Amino acid sequence: MTQFKKGSKEFWIPYLFLLPNLLIFACFVIVPAVQGLAMACTDWSVFSAPRFVGLSNFVELSRDEVFWTTFRNTIVYSVLTVVCLIAVSLLLALLLSKGSVKGEHGFRAVFYIPSLLSMITVGIAWRFILGDEMGVVNYVLRQWGGEGVHWLTTGNLAMSSIIVVSIWTYAGYYMLIFISGLQAIPGELYEAARVDGAGPWYTFRKITLPMLSPTTLVVSILATISAFKAYELILTMTKGGPGYATKLIVQQVYESAFLEDRMGYASAMAIVLMLMIGAFTLVQFKISKGDGEQ
Amino acid sequence: MRRVLAVLVSALVMAASLFANGGSEAPKASGSGTQKDVTLSVLWFNDGDESEVFKATMQDYLAQHPNIKLDMQIVAYSDYQQKLKMLISGGNPPDVARMSTGDLVALIDTALPLDGYTDVGKVKEEFMPSMLAYAYNREGKVVALPTEATANGMLVNKTAFKNAGIDIDAVSKSWTWADWEKVVKQVIAANPEMKYGLAVDFTPHRFSTILYQNGGHWLNADQTGMEFDNPGSVKMLQWFKRMHDENLIPKSVWLGSENPAELFQAGLVACHIGGSWNVNTYSKNIANFDWGCVRMPKADIRSSVPGGKLLASFKGCAHPQEAVDFMLAAADKQHSEAYDKATKNLGARNDSSIAYDSNTEDFAVFTDELKVTPAVTANEWKNPNFAKVATYAKEQIVQYLLGNIDVQTCVANVDKRGAQYFK
Repeated sequence: MTQFKKGSKEFWIPYLFLLPNLLIFACFVIVPAVQGLAMACTDWSVFSAPRFVGLSNFVELSRDEVFWTTFRNTIVYSVLTVVCLIAVSLLLALLLSKGSVKGEHGFRAVFYIPSLLSMITVGIAWRFILGDEMGVVNYVLRQWGGEGVHWLTTGNLAMSSIIVVSIWTYAGYYMLIFISGLQAIPGELYEAARVDGAGPWYTFRKITLPMLSPTTLVVSILATISAFKAYELILTMTKGGPGYATKLIVQQVYESAFLEDRMGYASAMAIVLMLMIGAFTLVQFKISKGDGEQ
Repeated sequence: MRRVLAVLVSALVMAASLFANGGSEAPKASGSGTQKDVTLSVLWFNDGDESEVFKATMQDYLAQHPNIKLDMQIVAYSDYQQKLKMLISGGNPPDVARMSTGDLVALIDTALPLDGYTDVGKVKEEFMPSMLAYAYNREGKVVALPTEATANGMLVNKTAFKNAGIDIDAVSKSWTWADWEKVVKQVIAANPEMKYGLAVDFTPHRFSTILYQNGGHWLNADQTGMEFDNPGSVKMLQWFKRMHDENLIPKSVWLGSENPAELFQAGLVACHIGGSWNVNTYSKNIANFDWGCVRMPKADIRSSVPGGKLLASFKGCAHPQEAVDFMLAAADKQHSEAYDKATKNLGARNDSSIAYDSNTEDFAVFTDELKVTPAVTANEWKNPNFAKVATYAKEQIVQYLLGNIDVQTCVANVDKRGAQYFK
């Protein structure tokens, strides 16, 4: 690879190409993030001037029961959604990438289409399916002489329903990423394993999974960020209820900022959310690095 | 370069001349004598097509006042408050603006007091106290005129009551919530498809209807602090939980966000406490049973919760006197009735008598509820600090309904959270 001398004209050319993107990133990500950090140290209503309060918003957060409930919910929802999403989308990719299923491309399209829909549409549609009184599923159950199930009105079931719907929505999208990862694995590796007498499970563990680890890392990071930001689906399906059962930090940030008019406090929550996403991503990198070294 | 400069200068001159024309108010002879031409700037938002109805309604006024022209700017409601704030803070407020109760709360200090421009005593006599309460600023001066009202009330499935042998129109003339409970149990028993007695919209506003009826309230008497912890509120909460536990109210609305209007239209609930706008929805959608509005059962008092829209002018506007005159004309009996009839809203005046194209009796029931509603309801709902705690209050009520907290913790939590906004 050609190395250009520091200070030479050629040395700066790549940075020049990167500049527009860096400027946009700085204007729309870095600057607002720094401003958010500054806002988190203020008591600020939109209609009044911000007042510096140091770390008192963070102290109040540490004592806010509702915040800790939403924090717990965010972790539960994100971990379960990401783990299940990876498992389901990988399974779908394995099923639909070998040409062993008739109409493979059609199935891929069917699984992918939900990810193209707006989450508000998905939420409304699933509320219509799972609603206690007006839901299609409960209607069918009652027609068969059974009792309706409180899919969205009991805490654990509501959270489970949200997770299932999230998986239904995104599994097709991550399936496509896994399929491209699977197609990049050289066929000779499987050939050699078969010659050595390796079974399908052994081949999967020792060839497919390790070779897919960069793809798995991408999927897990994308799915984690998406899970931490989940808002529209929950708002349309349960509005965060019953009670606080499905309320995540993002919703709490929105309500604190725009309904309670507490910009500083909401910023403090957003900072915690940012740290959570950062920590999760770091853990994923560590795990992936460990797998790579193995 | 010279050509570019020439084009720019020409454009500037044209723009300047345009503004100059817009602002010119040369004296002009009219039928009623020599009057200055006035172009009133009107800022408006639409829920439906109110701007067209409004202009049509005011045609006769404009014909009688040829010197008055309207420069009506229609803004999407999502941008409305921000636009209004920018105009006011930029020293260029509109002469007249349509205001939701929430907008007026946010901008109340910038609105023009009507004293000195009209007889405010007469205004106070003309409008329902519960609606006019929204129009008072912090100094107790009237700064807006209501043009339309909404109210909460009870919509019932009349066919279901008839199936149970109950004449709901007669029974509801003077019933209490205890009477309602007995009656509605008979209705559920007589209608196999009907599962519940009452659906209440999942909002603190609709919840407050029964709260006020039970003598409850959110704020203290002088509106300077929270006071949800009071016997009336506790009584209402306990009743509300009992109704949920006994399945007279469907859990799916307050615990699962199911739409109560859909439950009512599907014939699953006998009664719905909702806003007056439901009359329009139900008259379009319900064909398989007979429905109507009835007087809400009484607890300690009768009460609804008012809402609606108002017209206001602003301090520093270009034509304050003409703006107030125009607002008075828009809110007078003749014009407001025509406007409310066309937009299917309730009248905000004491003397309103509107013959709607349909459902006149139903609207009359809502108007009657509004007339007996105490002004304290509007005073609470126009309090900007209370608005901030409303969502939290709703969540705490759900926590109580779920059995996660007791009633005293519920009211105490709401008071504690609200207290920080009244510091």
